[in-house]
Amino acid sequence: MTDKPTYGVVLLYSTSAAIRAEKLTQEAGLKVKLIPVPRQLSSDCGISLRFEWDQADVVRSVLEEKGMEIQGIHRIE
Amino acid sequence: MTTIVDNETAKSNVSHMAARQGCQVDVEEREDGFYVRLTKGEQPAEETAPQMAAAPASGPLILTVPSDIMGRGDEELGGILVRAFFHTLGEVEPLPQTIIFFNSGVKLVVEGSPVVEDLQALKAQGIEILACGTCLGHYELKERVAVGEVSNMYTIAETMLGAGKVVSL
Repeated sequence: MTDKPTYGVVLLYSTSAAIRAEKLTQEAGLKVKLIPVPRQLSSDCGISLRFEWDQADVVRSVLEEKGMEIQGIHRIE
Repeated sequence: MTTIVDNETAKSNVSHMAARQGCQVDVEEREDGFYVRLTKGEQPAEETAPQMAAAPASGPLILTVPSDIMGRGDEELGGILVRAFFHTLGEVEPLPQTIIFFNSGVKLVVEGSPVVEDLQALKAQGIEILACGTCLGHYELKERVAVGEVSNMYTIAETMLGAGKVVSL
């Protein structure tokens, strides 16, 4: 637990979109986790997709390639 | 007094029960079973007259998890919510002293459950995790427990009734 990676979250427009985003990124072999939207952020949907920040570009391209609308991508501390 | 039991779960249940009663517990593993030697503690357990006590004024916070999904309705959503809940538990206060999983809730403590890592982290923080053994048996998951202890209704009932507050997921 000492070398925790830096994480980011993808905000989406609905819970079903978040579920779909999780599936797509997992299929692409990415390490992701659905978590509540961190308190300091807000979105239309209460669930966000957490990923390892150094994979931000891959996550974005996987989702955009499948035509998913991304509300925002944020680094979380 | 020595009790001989033939499996790990029974050994741990007897040991826990005895320890709660203030006994000293020594376990010896032999070929024909576990020999659990119980020695009465110095402080005799309080006279246990049947009690219809008022709820304990103070006592631990206990969380019960009766299902592998959170709330009723869409199951996929319920699964997401339960995952979000256990993730969040690592970041909020107060934390429960014990989390008890029963019925389909036990599916959350076995290999492949999406919340195993969160539960392991909670356990590492000192939170006790109990899973109903009957329930694990019913779902044929007893061999796949990944976190926490296999418990029984005595411990579960005592833990719930001795709580200051029980929160059910």
